[in-house]
Amino acid sequence: MIKELFRKRSIHVCVVNTGGCNGCDIEIVSCLSPRYDIEQYGIYVHNNPREADVLLITGPVTLQWAERLKEIYEKTPEPKVVVAVGACALSGGIFKEGHVIGGVHKVIPVDAKIPGCPPRPSEIIETILKVAPKAIAMREKLIKEKMEKNEV
Amino acid sequence: MSTVPIGPIHPVLKEPLRIKLVLDGEKPVDAEIEMGYVHRGIEKIMEGKHCHKGIHLAERVCGICSYIHTMTFAECIEHISKIEIPDKARYLRVITCELERIHSHLIASAVYNLSIEHETLAMWLLNVREIVMDLMEMISGNRINMSYNVIGGVRRDINREMMDEIYKKLDEFEEEIKNIIEVFETGPLIALRSKDIGILPYHEVMRTRAVGPVCRASGLPESDWRLRHATYQELDFKPVWRTEGDNFARMMVRHEEVLESVRLIRKALEYYEECSGDIRVKAEIKGGKGVWKNEAHRGEVTYKMEITDGGIIKRIMIRTPTVMNLEAYKYMLKTCPTVADAVSTYTSIDPCISCTERSIYIVKDGKEIPVGVKHP
Repeated sequence: MIKELFRKRSIHVCVVNTGGCNGCDIEIVSCLSPRYDIEQYGIYVHNNPREADVLLITGPVTLQWAERLKEIYEKTPEPKVVVAVGACALSGGIFKEGHVIGGVHKVIPVDAKIPGCPPRPSEIIETILKVAPKAIAMREKLIKEKMEKNEV
Repeated sequence: MSTVPIGPIHPVLKEPLRIKLVLDGEKPVDAEIEMGYVHRGIEKIMEGKHCHKGIHLAERVCGICSYIHTMTFAECIEHISKIEIPDKARYLRVITCELERIHSHLIASAVYNLSIEHETLAMWLLNVREIVMDLMEMISGNRINMSYNVIGGVRRDINREMMDEIYKKLDEFEEEIKNIIEVFETGPLIALRSKDIGILPYHEVMRTRAVGPVCRASGLPESDWRLRHATYQELDFKPVWRTEGDNFARMMVRHEEVLESVRLIRKALEYYEECSGDIRVKAEIKGGKGVWKNEAHRGEVTYKMEITDGGIIKRIMIRTPTVMNLEAYKYMLKTCPTVADAVSTYTSIDPCISCTERSIYIVKDGKEIPVGVKHP
């Protein structure tokens, strides 16, 4: 109920770089600039996984990140949404043969993917707005139903 | 003595890195830097690949300074196989490289201003940066990771309309950035947070091997590798330098370099207009060994490579500036009174972690596992 109604326009985002080349990260930083102004859509980037609704993951998952990423995913409170940004996060991209595990989907479940190397800031904002409010509301409903049946 | 871990995920850091600050009361005494989160093994992937494929990997060593890596890669191969590139391509390379230097320095300055809690300036800087990003998109077709360089020249030419647009946008940009620099230079609160904090004196630069703007802010202008580059010598390049060595000097060196870059772009465009001919020559790659150095936005970047006839890469070694600057960070900590200052000093060296990580060992349960062996 809370996320469905009131927090529809208050989405907290945590950016996790799991070994990308920084290209996607600086496109997320340029989302903050007054031209794109991510905060007018109610999206707040603050890099704290414990308060986040959306995890933006950039880059292929390197070997060192595999367990850390799982930890961060578990730290994030339910309901949560995972968005993979960029070609590397989709499939490992250009680094597929290197010392990486591959796409983000091999480690944690992914809700949305944005292709591009790197995607434009407008595409990042559009995807978050399209996916996050609906998915978060739906998941909260499911959790509530389970709680009523005393399954959780 | 207590320790404060910063990172790998922290509001101020763009990239994953863990700094363990050792505190005495509120004063940081020592720092331990833990790297290795973004090691992808780029050098290993490149081995055995053709250099036309390798140049795309070189671009993705770092997203912020992607252009300078391709430029150094291409120039290294041109140096090995003695390819003369046309004049038009030389000037176009300088124009794009300097545009990227502006965007990199502005983002560094914006992050520094965010870390000293001056959000207004940071937003202004990010907004001004968008003008430069538009120019880069117009010239090459993409905002970041432009793939503009090829071995033997550049990929696309610019026409008269684009040139007029660049001149127009540069005028607009210069007016705004001068205003911002004035605000930064005269702001009393900014001075309180940045002057006499994180000092790296001249005699310690030698000990830490610091490079780039960090080094030039401590009084070593000859560390700029653009002084040794033929095209820049033609354009009459003069390095920017200061002697204080504190956070304020480092940021001001970056700001003044932005103005110098604008001047270089204008001059290169003038020279470009007088040129005629192709933008690319057919490259016949001969085998051999070679080293090439260039001034990236954070310091010198070295490519040392060995190729075969036809252009298969045998071995490549990339050396990027941030490792040396991170070593200098430990010396800067001596003049940081609080943890907040330690964080802002960290952002003032403009670290780029994606560049840095070349070889690592994963330590698990006290045992060292070399990377490449399958992860358990």
